[in-house]
Amino acid sequence: MTYALASAVAPRRYPPGDLAIWIFILAELSVFAAFFAAYAFGRLGQVELFNAYQQTLDRRSALINTLALITGSYFVVRATAAIREDDSRGCFDWLLAALGMGTLFVVLKSAEYAHHLGEGIHLGTNRFYMFYLSLTFFHFMHVLMGMVILAAVALKARRGGYSAAEHTGVETGGAYWHMVDLVWLILFPLVYVMR
Amino acid sequence: MQYKSQAVAKPYFIAAIGLFVGQILFGLIIGLQYVVGDFLFPEIPFNVGRMVHTNLLIVWLLFGFMGAAYYMVPEESERELVAPWLAHLMFWIFLVAGALTVLGYLMVPYAKLAELTQNTVLPTMGREFLEQPTITKIGIVIVALAFLFNVGLTVLMGRKTVVNLVLLLGLLGLAVFFLFSFYNPDNLVLDKYYWWWVVHLWVEGVWELILGSILAFVLIKTTGVDREVIEKWLYVIIAMTLITGIIGTGHHYYWIGTPEYWQWWGSIFSAMEPIPFFMMTVFAFNMVNRRRRNHPNKAAMLWALGTAVMAFLGAGVWGFLHTLAPVNYYTHGTQITAAHGHMAFYGAYVMINLTIISYAMPLLRGRKAANSERSQVLEMWSFWLMTVAMVFITLFLTGAGVLQVWLQRYTATPQPFMAVQDQIALFYWLREIAGVVFLAGLVTYIASFFVGSKEPEAAAEGASATA
Amino acid sequence: MSQTFTKAMARNIFYGGSVFFFLLFLALTFDTSRALPGRDNRAAITEKVARGKQVWEHNNCIGCHTLLGEGAYFAPELGNVYKRFGSKEAIIAWIKAQPTGAAGRRQMPQFNLSEGDLDAVAEFLKYASEINAAKWPPNING
Repeated sequence: MTYALASAVAPRRYPPGDLAIWIFILAELSVFAAFFAAYAFGRLGQVELFNAYQQTLDRRSALINTLALITGSYFVVRATAAIREDDSRGCFDWLLAALGMGTLFVVLKSAEYAHHLGEGIHLGTNRFYMFYLSLTFFHFMHVLMGMVILAAVALKARRGGYSAAEHTGVETGGAYWHMVDLVWLILFPLVYVMR
Repeated sequence: MQYKSQAVAKPYFIAAIGLFVGQILFGLIIGLQYVVGDFLFPEIPFNVGRMVHTNLLIVWLLFGFMGAAYYMVPEESERELVAPWLAHLMFWIFLVAGALTVLGYLMVPYAKLAELTQNTVLPTMGREFLEQPTITKIGIVIVALAFLFNVGLTVLMGRKTVVNLVLLLGLLGLAVFFLFSFYNPDNLVLDKYYWWWVVHLWVEGVWELILGSILAFVLIKTTGVDREVIEKWLYVIIAMTLITGIIGTGHHYYWIGTPEYWQWWGSIFSAMEPIPFFMMTVFAFNMVNRRRRNHPNKAAMLWALGTAVMAFLGAGVWGFLHTLAPVNYYTHGTQITAAHGHMAFYGAYVMINLTIISYAMPLLRGRKAANSERSQVLEMWSFWLMTVAMVFITLFLTGAGVLQVWLQRYTATPQPFMAVQDQIALFYWLREIAGVVFLAGLVTYIASFFVGSKEPEAAAEGASATA
Repeated sequence: MSQTFTKAMARNIFYGGSVFFFLLFLALTFDTSRALPGRDNRAAITEKVARGKQVWEHNNCIGCHTLLGEGAYFAPELGNVYKRFGSKEAIIAWIKAQPTGAAGRRQMPQFNLSEGDLDAVAEFLKYASEINAAKWPPNING
């Protein structure tokens, strides 16, 4: 009797998504944390250089990117809420919107890179650019990966592969996207703003 | 043994152990040459002894991996091997080619061997671990292709378990990355850059997939824990392996002429390479703790757990000790490297081979599940002798390395290489003694195949005699 | 049901993660190959240097020595031996004089190299000493 009740209510497990993904998210955050620590350490010896070249970065573009990622995360939250109501179509639509935000990020970031490449800037130019390019490119690749994951989830949602009772994939994919967003929220002030 | 064709594994395992003995004998020779510098000079100069020692290691590990695959794949695929005759043929070709190569090293000066084997046509000789003549390397490729064809087709035509797929992927990677040994440019930096695509992407990459799959297989068989659980964790472990290990290759790119950003990328990612080994240790102990049965092969389970622990210590911990660029600047190319290398290779790859042999050999020799009590006790003695001896080898070399780094690199008044070697001689003597103990362990190990072989099988703990 | 799904997710992370990092590695390799000409002293790779590398390989010098820290740890680092000895002549003289025959000491074989090969390998070691190895080794001892 109690078993039937339990499965009908679809209990909210915490943390949402599968445990394995949280191990990976922890690993991901650790790598970025290590990178951020390395940045801080690397900056110690060359503060003037870092401050000077930081000025060459396009802060406005990065700000728009920040808003894009945050908005994308909001859309992912709406998508998760939708599937919790068994609204597969709504879930799909919100995920599509999130992908749109991701695309905006990719376009703006690519434009930034194209600009730097045009100026002859690369990984070996100086320590600041090495960190800037490494950190942002590493993150950029994660945005791309996040978009691949969201797209896969979106397609499955559209085919009716999720329900209110079983939508671990949406929560897991969503968690990955939120992680990518969170990393940027640290990266942006650290590399673009703080002096 | 469930399938007849699993029997082809037996000669592979026997050859592996035979070559292992050769490896250790030569290890003792070169270990002695460290302190008695002209021992066996000029008949066996140090470099010849060393290439015999390292090449025998690699070849016997490969024999072991192939034996493991020939044993595991039919059972996992639930069908016979596609071409047992091919496995037998390749066995002899590989063994003869290997023997001839080692004889070549010993019988003629290396430059003469290069000339005899026409190395100038496609020069691949003269690099560490890749000393084999080009024709031998081509032979290895052919043997590998035949082997992959054999096990690959068997998997494709049978049940595609995760264990099978991961094993196959690892072996495929092994073969693909070996191809980089044919790339030998005049540019020393490029030479070194791609050399590591063989060595690092082997031992800190695809070989870990092989290790993981063999460990998973043995744990499934001996603990009875649900395959789904074990296979899931296998994926998690190998994911962490490649996620950390691929960019981790950068920890070999600090000081060889490559750009300096590798010092950052390499340090960050290689620092995380111990993680999959740590997970493997937790995983192995967890599965044994949660076991649903008491398997009578206690020795195999000891090897399995020991592999996880020693791999973590040797590859993970000792690796971590000198992986960060600021540390490595001082320790690069010293006895610290040798210390790490020995325990890592033993802990990960020697021990996983001994694990699968421990599990499979009794079955290949007609036992139902395990050797007799007496055999297993002797085998477990050999485990402890070899493992503890290796720990001491590593500790002594670490001592030698620390002193070497201090005297030759770090102190304000650094001394020349040879002067420093004289001062760390005590550590080399101690290492040699530990090496002799290791040999004693190996002899004990071989004895365990014969002693008690006529006695009845050990029963599982708590099992009733009539069950 | 949840268990099977979890294994599939671990599998996806494995494949996804591996592809991700392999692509990243290729990107860094591409950048490295772009940066190498400024660091690897390739302009000095003459036919003689190439021959010297072949002599180095055919006599398995790496079997006792390290070169840029890689190799065997029985004999000294040779990446900076050109700087340590000061000249090609000194290197050539050393090779010609081996073995020392000192009792109990580590011995280097006599390779009976031709004058051309000796000059080539010394040239190779000079070339190696001019590679930009990020200020490694820490001192002249290698």
